[in-house]
Amino acid sequence: MNSAFSSLTRRAFLGRSVGSLGALALADLLGQPAAADSSLPGHHRPRAKAVISLFQHGGPSQMDLFDCKPALTKWNGKPYPGGSLEVHFDKQAGNVLGAPYAFRPHGQCGMELSELLPHTGSIADDITLVRSMSTGSVDHESALRIIHTGKFLAGLPSLGSWVLYGLGAENRNLPAYVVLADPGGLPVDGERNWSSGFLPAVYQGTPFRSGAAPVLNLQTPAHLPPAGRTNQLALLDELNRRHAARFPENTELSARIANFETAARMQSAVPEALDLSSESAATKKLYGLDNPVTEEYARRCLLARRLVERGVRFVQLFLNGQPWDTHDKNAERLKGLCARTDQPSAALVRDLKARGLLDSTVVLWTGEFGRLPVSQGKDGRDHNRHAFSLWVAGGGFRAGHVHGATDEFGYKSVEQVVNVPDFHATLLHTMGLDHRRLTFPHEGRSASLTDAEVTDARLVPALLA
Amino acid sequence: MSVNASHAAKSTLVGDCLRAALLVCLFASGRMDAAEAKPTPKSIAARAETHWAFQPLVRPVVPDAAVKDAGLTALDRFVARQLVKAGLTPGPEADRLTRLRRVAFVLTGLPPSPEEIAVFTADAQPGAYERMTERYLASPRYGERWGKHWLDAAGYADSNGYFNADTDRPLAYRYRDYVIRSLNRDKPFDQFVREQLAGDELSGWQPGQPATPEIIELLEATHFLRNGQDGSGESDGNPDEVRTDRYYALESTMQIIGSSLLGLTVQCAKCHDHKFEPVTQRDYYAFQAFLYPAFNIEKWMAPKDRVTHAHLPGELEAWTATEKRVETELAALKAECNQWLAKNRPAGRVLFADRFDQPLAARWSNTAPGDNAPAGKPPVTLDSAQAPAALVQDGALRIIESGSPNNRWLSTRESFNWQPAKTGDWIQVTFDLVALQLDGKGKPAERVGYYLALHDYNGSTPVAGGNMLIDGNPGGPTTLDVRYPGPNAKRRGNLTTTPYQAGHNYGVRVTRTDADKFLLEHLVDGAADGGTLTLSGTDLTPGGFGFEYCCGRSFVVDNVSVEASQPEDAAWAERNAAFQKALKDRREAYDKRTKELGAQRTPKPGRIAWVSDLSPEPPEVRLLVRGEHKNRGELVAPAFPAFLKPGTTNFTPTATTSGRRVAWANWLTTPGSPQAALLARVTVNRVWQQCFGTGLAQTPDNLGLSGARPTHPELLEWLASEFVTSGWSLKALHRLVLQSATFRQSSAPRAGALARDPGNQWLWRYPLRRLDAEAIRDGMLAASGKLGTKTDGPYVPTPRAAVGEVIVDEAKPDAFARSVFLQQRRTQVNTFLGTFDAPAIVFNCTRRVETTMPLQSLSLLNSDFAVKRGADLAQRLLREAGPDATAIVRRGFLLTAGRGPDAVESAAALRFFAQQCEIYAGKPDATQRAWADFGQSLFGLNAFLYVE
Repeated sequence: MNSAFSSLTRRAFLGRSVGSLGALALADLLGQPAAADSSLPGHHRPRAKAVISLFQHGGPSQMDLFDCKPALTKWNGKPYPGGSLEVHFDKQAGNVLGAPYAFRPHGQCGMELSELLPHTGSIADDITLVRSMSTGSVDHESALRIIHTGKFLAGLPSLGSWVLYGLGAENRNLPAYVVLADPGGLPVDGERNWSSGFLPAVYQGTPFRSGAAPVLNLQTPAHLPPAGRTNQLALLDELNRRHAARFPENTELSARIANFETAARMQSAVPEALDLSSESAATKKLYGLDNPVTEEYARRCLLARRLVERGVRFVQLFLNGQPWDTHDKNAERLKGLCARTDQPSAALVRDLKARGLLDSTVVLWTGEFGRLPVSQGKDGRDHNRHAFSLWVAGGGFRAGHVHGATDEFGYKSVEQVVNVPDFHATLLHTMGLDHRRLTFPHEGRSASLTDAEVTDARLVPALLA
Repeated sequence: MSVNASHAAKSTLVGDCLRAALLVCLFASGRMDAAEAKPTPKSIAARAETHWAFQPLVRPVVPDAAVKDAGLTALDRFVARQLVKAGLTPGPEADRLTRLRRVAFVLTGLPPSPEEIAVFTADAQPGAYERMTERYLASPRYGERWGKHWLDAAGYADSNGYFNADTDRPLAYRYRDYVIRSLNRDKPFDQFVREQLAGDELSGWQPGQPATPEIIELLEATHFLRNGQDGSGESDGNPDEVRTDRYYALESTMQIIGSSLLGLTVQCAKCHDHKFEPVTQRDYYAFQAFLYPAFNIEKWMAPKDRVTHAHLPGELEAWTATEKRVETELAALKAECNQWLAKNRPAGRVLFADRFDQPLAARWSNTAPGDNAPAGKPPVTLDSAQAPAALVQDGALRIIESGSPNNRWLSTRESFNWQPAKTGDWIQVTFDLVALQLDGKGKPAERVGYYLALHDYNGSTPVAGGNMLIDGNPGGPTTLDVRYPGPNAKRRGNLTTTPYQAGHNYGVRVTRTDADKFLLEHLVDGAADGGTLTLSGTDLTPGGFGFEYCCGRSFVVDNVSVEASQPEDAAWAERNAAFQKALKDRREAYDKRTKELGAQRTPKPGRIAWVSDLSPEPPEVRLLVRGEHKNRGELVAPAFPAFLKPGTTNFTPTATTSGRRVAWANWLTTPGSPQAALLARVTVNRVWQQCFGTGLAQTPDNLGLSGARPTHPELLEWLASEFVTSGWSLKALHRLVLQSATFRQSSAPRAGALARDPGNQWLWRYPLRRLDAEAIRDGMLAASGKLGTKTDGPYVPTPRAAVGEVIVDEAKPDAFARSVFLQQRRTQVNTFLGTFDAPAIVFNCTRRVETTMPLQSLSLLNSDFAVKRGADLAQRLLREAGPDATAIVRRGFLLTAGRGPDAVESAAALRFFAQQCEIYAGKPDATQRAWADFGQSLFGLNAFLYVE
């Protein structure tokens, strides 16, 4: 406990109103290693202890993938009969645009999904499909901030940071919050997507890069032989302990001393976690590593499983740019994107299940908003904040379940509407965290991910098993 | 793309809007939990009447000495009184070198140099400490250090933020330099504030008039008002969203003024009366009315256009003369080059030529050779003026665009073979660019697009390649896309950066370089300009040449010519080879001279990114109901908030401004007023925070009702009084603080005191403090002897390297400049600095967080920066103290920890050196390597990373 407070400056914890929870987690991150079998910290018994977020940038088209709307086909090419629409590119709005692909039911639950998602169909009985999501912005950057941090404002902590703050790390030789960014480049809004905001920087996501240097500065400089590094660490340890002896009360100094050791251990733990050579051919095939179209995304999905297996708390996959932002050529682009992501995403769920990890791992597939029932230009769809779909699997979510519904045209969520803060509250709940009690003192008040007093965030029990 | 698009949404969304607005406030606001249960406007107003921070300054009586000590200053007596109350005693004075290092870092952000250590150590006379303090106060490094503190509070950044693009602010550095200069000169802080709020109005200068250095400085100061995020240059979306983006920039400025100058969360009163502070919504808009003439939403100027020119007499003339001379010589060089080319290039075989003296229909079409479908809807009409159209007029071809978004083109009817048969053979196409608009009217075309290998529209014909679009760019890189338009379109990269300007001839040449390899060269006035891309045979399908129609881009061209090398002609090949060789020699000389001339050019002098009113007549300002700009309420006149001293609002407009901002600046700094007292308290509190790590009030951006109460209210009051009495002199304030026994105390813990006050809020010792990010980087550069000498000017770029790290390219000039001069891009914070908690500026930063992370250790152990500084330090040690190992170790500690090692440290270091020598045994540079490892280790020592 003490070491936790001293690891930050006094300032960072000035408002001591912070619960012991965060402090405990911080100790786990920075102090003694958390025992592998230790009971998790938290507010109540958790169902899940890890999250894998497969984030789909740009706003996947719900009515073309997850939410079948026969009215769209019926009114295809005709003026939208449903009244006024909130349109982002207001000069380009066209007539109703029908879904270009057929839907069919999957699994015992009969979940209707687009023909572009056969693999997701194969896990229909393992996932919860929410068709009634709603968010607060039609603008990418602010909608991203809402889905990742709960509000449209810049500079707030991400969901992963809050989870980490609440639960700490299980394996302190690996970063507890790992971002597997697209080798093709950063997503829109870049590093803000995994920022720790006003939470201490220990809680920010650590991006693993593809290639030889997954974590910055992970490799001992080439000129320094292992024995030389050992000597260096010994020197630092001896001299820093001598310095710290003059300030025995100051545990920030001990944390810094310990961190040199942690850093050295990370240097071997990270490459081991990322090495796929021990994975069987069958596993690789399951994810689609044998197919050039799926290979890249498959690799990152498989890495996500390996990281969670090793105690990483929060893993996030991103796509470069915002590929689901189908302002034009909606049909063609959806086809390409599903070909790339459908199989690896479903394989991750199946693989986790086969290994008995799905009960304790949440897999989340979502974008930041949805799209409109009318065309933009000739063949695109514009942004829509009033409805989008997401699916979530594992960790106590209700398998084989479809939640909520949109209106006739898929424009607006109308039944059992789930706002983003509601979903956040529910996700935290499965992790054993109460969204109203997971707070951090910020500018004199207790800030939280959901800020329920203004967002009215509430748990959605219907999503849980 | 608006950030709070919910504000821009339709009227059905009012609930969301209000909710969003409330959220902003709860977030930005002070201690909601700590405040009374449900403050009412009445209770807030009553508390404000007596709130300490809102009163005029009353200089407290200095307490009698509570502790007998001749060394106690007035400041110490305030501290001592609280210590006694808490049952504590002050600590002993820290030793000499500890005090030196503390003062050096606090005042300059750099470690003391061995010379500074020697001078201070040698000064045995009374007053040595004061003299040492004065030396640092007089150092230009002082302004760089404290300038950065103010720049943080003022929200300085070198980028616009808001949107993902986070575009550049190339002129922001002039404000940064103004801040550094002002602090080095110890400009009275009230004047410093007035200049930043209304320098343009204070200067009396008008655009077009000659300027003086004083005027220029005043104009630079106004950049303070544009430090906030401003995405209005990138706004798209509907008009509501655009307006929201503009308001955001204005509201950010108000928020920064609130937190940096007033210590108030004014932004919370945007949508409703403040929930915790005596700021009404009317107050908010009455305050906005002072700024609005410069931020008029309806007359908005994007950031890049908010620029004025103010130059010293003669400065512009000298620059113009240089420009003219350079341009003349460049033009002559180019003309000579072109003449030579025209004369010497072995003529190719002309496959197609059109001088546009005849109607088009015979040779051109709106489809492509072999394709029946016209490109785009509506397709191009030939020999017509009805847009989209192609028309021959005055002996030139007019590309007349209609502006609707469909891709279309004008193509030759003839198809060409774009794959030359043999290695070395070529085919080229060129045209004269006559004008970038029609008859000098309309928006100039922002691209001149032309196609090679046109064969079908929108993928209707299954051919893999072709449709190669070259997007000639007047102001940026010219790109090449293959299979454009359509789902299979692929960007091949940038072909050239030569701008497309009217009056020149442009085109491309395809040369076969291998069995299936082709070189695409960009041609300007018939000669390759160095821009190339590599193509394969698949790209180069047979097809026509054409011009692209898109996006309202109309332009005029002439003399389209397709030529190819002469195949099977030995004499021609020989002539061509000789020509190529001669061309290469000429180009080298030409390029060399062009580069020399280019180096003589400087940016146009006097460009200042400023803020001034957009018109002298003040526009009307309305209260926005619920903060929504679509919901305009009552008219609001500029007025000062009632809980401070209201004062009169008589404005004296200048020829170009309303006089409002200068009135607000004068009001804020009115001597004896509560608002000037508030400004002094906010400033003094922040200075204390920089000296002791924590402010006397721990919320530096909020001294309002919801802010933290000061631990030493009378001390804060006394310091603020002294600050104002001294003429708002920051350096006088530093003397008060740094010369106090409180500041000079040891950091050593004492058991009793630790038990009573573990957090040291009563200041029984000087806190042990980690260096901030800039001090670590600058300290490593200083110790290793690499610290650069840059003191002003454009930022040092911090690009993102391939692995994702944001670095400084050490091969570039000023790579070792102090961190304050590095590019401060909001979304691209230098990785080394960010690892040690340098902020990514959103609004502003009035205090830094401080973390302890394994990534920091990785950075010190393995980063290129740390390894290189270790090697640099080793070289310096060998140069200055070698070869004696003990002396090297001693100097290493002196440079990094500000003191020599003790016996144990020295022994450990020598043992380490011996071990590393053993490891590197046999290598010729074993000693250097061992010392480099030692040097790098020094930077990992807490003796370096912390200040006692």
